[in-house]
Amino acid sequence: MTAFLQPGFWVFVVLMAGIYCIFALGLQVQYGLGGILNFGHVATMALSSYTMAILVITYNWNLYLACFVGVIMAGLGGAFLGLTTLRLRGDYFSIVSIAFSEIIRYIIHNSDHLTGGSQGSLNIPSSKGYASYTDSFNKVLMNIQDKIKPIVGSFASRDMALLLIVWLTAIILLTIMSFIQKTSWARVLRATREDDDVPASLGKNVFLFRLSSVIVGSVIGGIAGIYWALEFSILDPADFQTIVTFFAWMVIILGGATRVKGVPLGALFFGFLYAGTRFFQFPPFTWFDSVQRAYLRIMIIGFVLIFLMLKRPQGIFGKREEMVLE
Amino acid sequence: MAEFVQLLFNGLVTGSILAMAAVGVSLVYGVLRLVNFAAGDFMTLGAFVAVFLSVSKGWPLIVAILVAIVVICVLGLALDWLLWKRLRESKAGTLALFLVATGVALILRQSILMIFSSGSRKFAINETATFSFLGANIATSQLIVLLLASSAIITLGLFMAKSTIGKDMRAFSDNASLAAVSGINVNKVVRYVWIINGILSALAGIFQGMVQGRFDSTMGWTLLLPIFAAVVLGTIGDAYGALLGGMVLGLVMELSTWHIFFGGIPGSYKNVVAFATLGIVLLVKPEGLLGVKARSI
Repeated sequence: MTAFLQPGFWVFVVLMAGIYCIFALGLQVQYGLGGILNFGHVATMALSSYTMAILVITYNWNLYLACFVGVIMAGLGGAFLGLTTLRLRGDYFSIVSIAFSEIIRYIIHNSDHLTGGSQGSLNIPSSKGYASYTDSFNKVLMNIQDKIKPIVGSFASRDMALLLIVWLTAIILLTIMSFIQKTSWARVLRATREDDDVPASLGKNVFLFRLSSVIVGSVIGGIAGIYWALEFSILDPADFQTIVTFFAWMVIILGGATRVKGVPLGALFFGFLYAGTRFFQFPPFTWFDSVQRAYLRIMIIGFVLIFLMLKRPQGIFGKREEMVLE
Repeated sequence: MAEFVQLLFNGLVTGSILAMAAVGVSLVYGVLRLVNFAAGDFMTLGAFVAVFLSVSKGWPLIVAILVAIVVICVLGLALDWLLWKRLRESKAGTLALFLVATGVALILRQSILMIFSSGSRKFAINETATFSFLGANIATSQLIVLLLASSAIITLGLFMAKSTIGKDMRAFSDNASLAAVSGINVNKVVRYVWIINGILSALAGIFQGMVQGRFDSTMGWTLLLPIFAAVVLGTIGDAYGALLGGMVLGLVMELSTWHIFFGGIPGSYKNVVAFATLGIVLLVKPEGLLGVKARSI
C-alpha cells in the first residue's frame, strides 16, 4: 500500500503511459489510416533500443547519433516487414507480422556476442569493461531535475525529468500526426482502408501508400523504444514479447481506434489500469496471494479487451460509425 | 546417416504434432473466420489436465487423456456460445476477433498458472527408454506418439473426406454463403468444428508434453507460431493444406539442424527456420502450397 501513496510511483506510471502513447501512435498511423493490422509492432522498439545500446556500448558512439541510427533501424525493419509481406491478404499479414517480432526477439535472445543474449544489455561486449549506455543522458536528466526542483519540489526526480521529455515528444508527434491527417497522403490511405480498387483506379499505388504508413509507424515505434531503453537503463529480450504489442492495441482501442487525439487518453487510461491493478487490496482480490495477483493483472487486461470488443468496439472515446463497416 | 535418420524421425514426430494442431486452427478459421490465438493455450490446458489427473490423481493415463479431450471440447463450445456467436451476429471485424482471441489466450494462460501453479510438469512415462534403428537412438515414447498421431491424422483425413459433416465443413470453408444456401446446418457445422478442434488440440498438447518430457504453461504459446506458419503455408482455411504444412515445417525445422547445412543451424533457431520457410514459400506462391490463385480483375 505504501507505493500507492508515493508520488514517485505515479510519476513512473505517467512516464510509462507517455512511452506507450508514442508506441501506440506508431500503430495508429498504420491502423487508423491504412487499416493495417500489424501485430509485430514491438519489434520496432526492440530494434531501435538494441541498435542504440550496441552502438554506444560496443562502438563508443555518441548517444544521440546512436539514437538516431536506432530509430532509422526501426524504420528499416518496418520496410523489410512491409516489402516482404504487405502484398499478402490482411489476415496473413497479421500472422506474419507477429512472427517478424518473435524472430527479432529470438535473434536478440540467441546472439550472445552482439546483444548479450538472454542476460540482456548488461552482457553486451564493451571496451570500457561495463555495459551502460545512459551515462551521458543521465547528466542531461540531472540538469533538468535541478532546473525543475524550484517548481515541482519533491516531485523532481530522474523519472520526472524523463517524463517531461517523453510527453513533450508525444505532444509534438501528436501535433504532427493531426496535421498529417489532413494531407492527401492520409486521404489516400484512408481510401485504401475501405477498398483497394478505387484508389488503384485513380492511379494511386496502393502498395506504396501502405508501405509508407508501415515505415512511418515503425519510426514512431522506434522513438518509443529509445525512451524505453533510456528509462530502464538495461534491456532484456523478454521485455519485447508479443504482449507489449497488444498493450499498444489496447491503448488504441481505449482511445477510439481511428482518433489520433484518443491515443494519449487511451495511454493514460491503460497506464493507470495496468499499474492500478497492483493495489486491489480488497476482496475478492485479497483471496489471492501476491503471485496469483500478478497473474490476475494480465487476466484483467484480457477481460477488458474482450469486454470492450463486445460492448464498445469504438473504444471509450471513439465513434461507433468508424469501427463498424457494413 | 545415423544423424539423418534421427533427425528425420524427430521431424516426423514434430511434424505430426504441428499438423494436428494446425488442422484445428485451419478448420476454425475456415468455418468461423477466426484466427484462434488461444489454440496454443488449448493445447497446454489439455496437457495440464491430463497430467493432473494421471500423475497427481493417479487415474489411468487413457482415462485422463479422454477427460482432457472432453474438457477442451467443452471449453471450445462454451467460448463459442459466450463470445464467438455474439461477435458473428454483430458482424465484428477482423480486429475485434483478433483482440478477443488474444484476450481469451491471456485469460487461459493465466488461469492455468493460477489453478495448477507455475513450475514444470511431466507425464509418468519413461522418455529415456530408447531402441536402436539404423544406427540412430530413437525414444520409445516418440515412436508411440508418432504412431498415435499418424492414426489420428489418418482418421481425421478419412472423416473429412467421407463423412457428411466433413464434406459440409469443407464446403463451408470454401464458400460460406453458398453452403448455407444449399441447406447445410451452420450451427451443426460450428459445433463439430469446436469438437474436432478440441480433440486435436488436446491430443497435440498431450503428445507434445510426452515428447518434450518436462513442460510448463508456455508450451502451447511457444508452438503457436510454428502452428500458424503451418496453417498459412498450407493455405489458410484448408484442412489438408494444414496437414501438409505441418509435416513440411516439422521436417524442415528438425532437418535444418543437420550438420551438412553450414554445420547445422542451432536448435534455438528452429522457430526462425519455420518462418523463413514460410517467407520463402509465400514469396514464390503467395496463396500457400495448396491455394488457388485468386482471379484478378
